[in-house]
Amino acid sequence: MNLKRIFQRLRNRGRADADLEEEIASFYDGMQARRIEAGLTPGEARRETRAEFGSPARVVEAVRDSRVEAVLETAIQDIRYAWRGLRRNPGFAAVAVLTLALGIGANSAIYSLMESILLRSLPVAGAESLVVLNWHSRPPRDGGKDWVHVMQSVSGFAWKGGHGSYVSGMFPYGAFETLREENGSLSVLFGHFRAGDRTLSIGGAASSAGGEYVTGEYFRALAVRPAAGRLIGPEDDKPGAPPVAVVSFATSQNRFGGPAKAVGQPILVDNVPFTVVGVAPPEFRGVDPAWEPGVYLPLRANLLLDGSGAASMYGNGNFYWIELMGRLRPGVTLEQAQSAMAPRFRQWVSTTATTDGERAKLPELLLTPGAGGLNSLRRDYSKPLYVLLAMVGLILTIACANIANLLLARASARRREISVRLSLGASRWRVVRQLITESLLLASLGGILGVVLAHWGTQWLTVLLTNGRENFTLGAGLNWFVLAATAALTMLCGLLFGLAPALQATRPDVMPALKNGRAGEPRGWTQQALVVAQLALSLIVLVAAGLFVRTLNNLHSVQLGYARENILLFSVDARKAGHRDPEIVNFYSGLRRRFEAIPGVSGATLSQSSLIRAGHARGAMKVGETTVEGTRVLVTGANFHSTMRIPMLYGREIDDRDQPGSAPVAVISERLARTYFDGRNPIGHRIAFLKEKRELEIVGVSANLRYGSLKGENPMTVFIAASQVSLRGMTYALRTAGDPLRHASNIRDIVKEADSRIPVTNIVSQAAEIDRTIGQEVAFAKLCTGFAALALLISCIGLYGTMSCAVARRINEIGIRMALGARRGAVVWMVLRRVLVLVLIGIAISVPAALAASQLVESLLFETKPNDPAILALAGVILAGAGILAGYLPARRASKIDPLVALRHE
Amino acid sequence: MGKQTELLQGTLDLLILRTLELQPLHGVGIADRVAQATKGVFVIGPGSLFPALHRLADRGWIEGEWSELATGRRAKFYSITPAGRKRLIEEKRNWNRVSIAVNQVLAEES
Repeated sequence: MNLKRIFQRLRNRGRADADLEEEIASFYDGMQARRIEAGLTPGEARRETRAEFGSPARVVEAVRDSRVEAVLETAIQDIRYAWRGLRRNPGFAAVAVLTLALGIGANSAIYSLMESILLRSLPVAGAESLVVLNWHSRPPRDGGKDWVHVMQSVSGFAWKGGHGSYVSGMFPYGAFETLREENGSLSVLFGHFRAGDRTLSIGGAASSAGGEYVTGEYFRALAVRPAAGRLIGPEDDKPGAPPVAVVSFATSQNRFGGPAKAVGQPILVDNVPFTVVGVAPPEFRGVDPAWEPGVYLPLRANLLLDGSGAASMYGNGNFYWIELMGRLRPGVTLEQAQSAMAPRFRQWVSTTATTDGERAKLPELLLTPGAGGLNSLRRDYSKPLYVLLAMVGLILTIACANIANLLLARASARRREISVRLSLGASRWRVVRQLITESLLLASLGGILGVVLAHWGTQWLTVLLTNGRENFTLGAGLNWFVLAATAALTMLCGLLFGLAPALQATRPDVMPALKNGRAGEPRGWTQQALVVAQLALSLIVLVAAGLFVRTLNNLHSVQLGYARENILLFSVDARKAGHRDPEIVNFYSGLRRRFEAIPGVSGATLSQSSLIRAGHARGAMKVGETTVEGTRVLVTGANFHSTMRIPMLYGREIDDRDQPGSAPVAVISERLARTYFDGRNPIGHRIAFLKEKRELEIVGVSANLRYGSLKGENPMTVFIAASQVSLRGMTYALRTAGDPLRHASNIRDIVKEADSRIPVTNIVSQAAEIDRTIGQEVAFAKLCTGFAALALLISCIGLYGTMSCAVARRINEIGIRMALGARRGAVVWMVLRRVLVLVLIGIAISVPAALAASQLVESLLFETKPNDPAILALAGVILAGAGILAGYLPARRASKIDPLVALRHE
Repeated sequence: MGKQTELLQGTLDLLILRTLELQPLHGVGIADRVAQATKGVFVIGPGSLFPALHRLADRGWIEGEWSELATGRRAKFYSITPAGRKRLIEEKRNWNRVSIAVNQVLAEES
């Protein structure tokens, strides 16, 4: 193929055409000249040549059609023609493109989130050979309430697996050492664990950053190359090794002014000196998408940072805390590695069991693919994302059905034009291609606009779903992967909603259409079926929205038992800045008094965490002779109950009288008092924590409160005095007049003045802190309400269009009825009755589907039954109402028909 | 002129290449030559001749160039390219194979 020639011709189309025409003309001239030589007059010669060879123009056309680029040219022609068609009908085009853009945009936005959470690989070389080590066993508390498991304590996560199993990615250090020796299937095994939030002080300025402890093999195994300096190696992860740290690229930029400037610099981590030896590359953000470390420390740096308990972690085979990953040797499959390593783990873990109960449910090793890093985010978000994807899928289907409907209506309006083209000899395929081009053009416009919407939608969704959670590495955005998926979806939509109308419009029976300009399909069954489908799908979306809004309402109306408004929360960790017992108690209470003195602050207190995030148990305790399990214990400073507006039923709250030296005290909740003191006044009685061997005197009883998650219950609660225990980081709570957040800078100044090494973190109002914990429910309620409105709007447009068509089709009939004396109301009713029938059919079809679908989201609901009849009824009423509204306009138009005009219409 | 025969698909290319192998010709000349050589069995109209010429030119087997005729008018003369000669050899071989095969079938029938 002489591509150069074709390309030149394409670039210079005008000249190529002139050249071709001249060539053909010269052929005809030659033939004519021959006939003139034979004695004919020029006129006769011309006529005879044409009679024999046809017109030159047809020859030119034949050559053009045979060219390779002819296909392209007709396509361009089709697109131009389609464009003109759309421009002639701007209303139709705008509605179609906009609905499609919303549908495609919503899909792309959700899909890009899914891609970033569920599908994306870690940005490291050879990510596909990485494996994550987990284990599974029977739950530690099955049947009875007692904890029976070789995992006697854990720092990290465990979650429910399939078939009621208990799964975790945490291991004792001994398991790491043992599995490291089983190196036949893994080329390297490495460990890491979250170091939590750490205070980084650089040149006197303190700020908080996430930390990650890593074993010496971590960076080598992940094949990460430093952006500057070197990364942590095995020589750094030894007791007594010089304390070194690797900082993330972002930390190096924000705190040192660039990677090169960070290397070799001293850094204080929780007031312990380290040296920065290197900087991680910008794309590497740790192995857990839910935890972005700002600083990486050798595993054994925890001996320096985490106090005396840290050393015992290494030798304790029943304490589960380290997370393990490995890299498969080339040619070894996940299953082979699993079967090689599992017996080794089983053998080791059996040595840690001390009772038969523990031996009966030993953990089994479970290897999972590690290309995407840890799957904590996937666990939390995969179900909500699939639900959202299903919803936006429904919306897009409704939008496609709607456009198909609009196209059908348009096709019947254009039937005459199409029939003329068909009878003039255009092949059916040619006309179908033309119509499909038009729908693909519509789809492309919708797709392009959809990508723009998706760009905003993704950012908005990320904010909505992550909802203030920090350390998130969720880089959701439009990348080639998402764009390709969007393009494919767009084309699919174009074909989907374009094909049926195109085929119907070009059906071979062109004659009736030619004879009668208006007659289309006799009753418009296809259109009505499409509308019913739209209505049915809308009902599903409406029901989902109802369920999620109800869930959010239920969560918002939970009785907290403590103040939600006008409370400011923030966290301060003095221990990380080097404060120690007993001085730390005075430091914290001194700060509390200074906060209390701020004008506009009517109360100040502190506790080990905010109430909504509280979750600490302190082991079993004794009330009299009874052992009590499962009580929640919160360490609180003075005036906690009065600041939080928790009513005291008896006695007093913890206050400044409770000092390190004075008698240890506790306040208990009403439920605990009722359960274990039935009727007697508990004041003056003692409770004891078994582990700590400490007795506390009950000085007060407070009303019950929702402790921890909103979805939880009101547990038995014990409040103990902060001044009488060893303290770490504390969360202050200030009761303010007006907007709590306006005191933020004042608070920072006070803390800085007290000790400049301490950063103030997580400044937030109590209301926002509570809402953060139900971010997903808020997001779902908002999104689904939006989706439902969208679905309803699109369906109503469809209904309106269909009914308008139906009225236009029956204009004669209506005219006759009115001429025979039908009243306007009867005509309106006639049309509305049709609307109602369509809506009812839609509802009837969709109720079973909605009931089945709502079962799937049951786990996302709160105190809401999936088949709530009230919600179903409300959704039906809304749908019917919207349908009547959409049908009323055409109905009114029908009733305004002048019988004379209508009858003359024929 | 005698009875004309429908051209087999692909035969037209062979005829044109073969004609141009001998000398460069314009459209009228090619049509004349083919009619002459086949004793009027094949008459190629412009509706099939020109698309074929342009197709062959697109493939790089022939080249067209404008020049003056003896009568003073301009016409586009086509000549065969080296690639076209190679193609012609192939086409000839193909044709021979086909015609031998067809003749055999016909011989069996009678």
